[in-house]
Amino acid sequence: MEPIVECKNLTHYYGKRCIYENLNFEIPKGRILGLLGKNGTGKTTTINILNGYLKPKSGECLMFGEKSTRLSPAAKQKIGLLIEGHVQYPFMTISELERYYSAFYPKWKKGAYFELMNLLKIDRKQKLSQMSCGQKSQVALGLILAQDPELLILDDFSMGLDPGYRMLFVDYLSEYAKSGNKTVFVTSHIIQDMERLIDDCLIMDYGGIILQMPVGELLEKFRRYRFKCDSPELLTGIDGLYHPVTIKGNTETCSMLDAAGLKEMLKEKKIEVTSFREEKLTLEEAFIGLTGKY
Amino acid sequence: MKKALLYKELKKTKRVWMIVFLLGITLLFYLCLKAGRSFRLVGMEHLWDVVVNRDQFIFRDLKFFPLLAGVCIGLAQYVPEMVQKRIKLTLHLPLKERTIVLLMLAQGLLSLLLLFAAQIGGVLIYTAIYFSAEFIYSTLITMVPWYLAGFTSYLFVAMICIEPTWKRRIFNAVLATGTIQLVFISSFPGAYSQIIKWIILIPVFVMPFTFLSISRFKEGEQE
Repeated sequence: MEPIVECKNLTHYYGKRCIYENLNFEIPKGRILGLLGKNGTGKTTTINILNGYLKPKSGECLMFGEKSTRLSPAAKQKIGLLIEGHVQYPFMTISELERYYSAFYPKWKKGAYFELMNLLKIDRKQKLSQMSCGQKSQVALGLILAQDPELLILDDFSMGLDPGYRMLFVDYLSEYAKSGNKTVFVTSHIIQDMERLIDDCLIMDYGGIILQMPVGELLEKFRRYRFKCDSPELLTGIDGLYHPVTIKGNTETCSMLDAAGLKEMLKEKKIEVTSFREEKLTLEEAFIGLTGKY
Repeated sequence: MKKALLYKELKKTKRVWMIVFLLGITLLFYLCLKAGRSFRLVGMEHLWDVVVNRDQFIFRDLKFFPLLAGVCIGLAQYVPEMVQKRIKLTLHLPLKERTIVLLMLAQGLLSLLLLFAAQIGGVLIYTAIYFSAEFIYSTLITMVPWYLAGFTSYLFVAMICIEPTWKRRIFNAVLATGTIQLVFISSFPGAYSQIIKWIILIPVFVMPFTFLSISRFKEGEQE
């Protein structure tokens, strides 16, 4: 599949603090990629570089084959951008925002926008500044869907949305993206939402990417194991084991290895384990398993 | 597309423009009334003597109005863009960045031009009724640097607002104060008549610096 977004060898520092070095990833056409990471791992930095609002120390991002810092109007027309905080113009009403943006996008879907706005039960003449935080978020999302872009970049899309609307939006977006073969790049603090929405996940930790793979594959392969172990100190630093933690003789760790493979590996390293249990994980649990609780 | 962008700029500045316009007209009206009162109290000959021989300028209270107007329109237009970094939305519009910035500046400068034209028009009509052509020319030459300072202050406000770091904003503000002060050194009527063509160049030179601020914003410059 042709990549819509390509980030090549991205390196960025804030002062002397390295955010990441040689970050590489691609977003293939028609896929929904979720960027997951703890606070401060560089999610918003990556989104800013992608949008052309931050120049990386080295490396480059291409969107539709063009450098993200110098996108042509035609390329910008194909990209729907949701800025963190659902930023929009508070001095405009719902109708004015619709009229304003419709002039820029030839595929503008007025109906889709007002369909979503009707759910809000807000007067079309109401200004954004007079709306609640959640309502503003819904307007910002509605505008992006009406734009009907080929690529949607949604930074922390679930912020400020109540649970019901969050679920509705996730389902709406998922259906919209799949039926229209849209490419979506999304970040969110609420990983349960991501699990319902994304095809692929890109998990970041301090300094770079831990993994990029389809969510289905991650949830199929990545397991949590609990066991009792007499010498837990030997577990530290073993390749393939993620963040082993032992409390009162009960050890918990995660791995991409299946149960038989893990037992075999521990046996080779002469680590005896008892009460061995294998658990399947949700995306949120897998994320914590990969990045650690702290 | 361009019309839509201008519509948004107009939405931001409309209310402030109206307030500044009314303020300008009120100020002019007050000065005309004051001058009219002087005509009646001291007589036209005396007033002529004061204006022509003692170089008193009857519209000197308008001196800082254009500067204030430039700052107000600039703030009304660019502060909403910088709150929550909304300018990202504007720069993401499917137009060339240069076109976007030029249209925003053009809208601001045009709205100032309308304000200034209304005020200068009023001044010229009033002076044409009571004074000779030489005095009208002298009035115009005295006031033009003030209005150019108004355009310059607007451009500096754009440059300062869009600039992403406070350190550089303060530096730009000092630079703006120093540059604009050049036009207010002398209050003597017609003091700048010999260098007016050079004063016209000040806003022309300041304008490209807005693009520098945009470029620094896009590079993600931080404190």
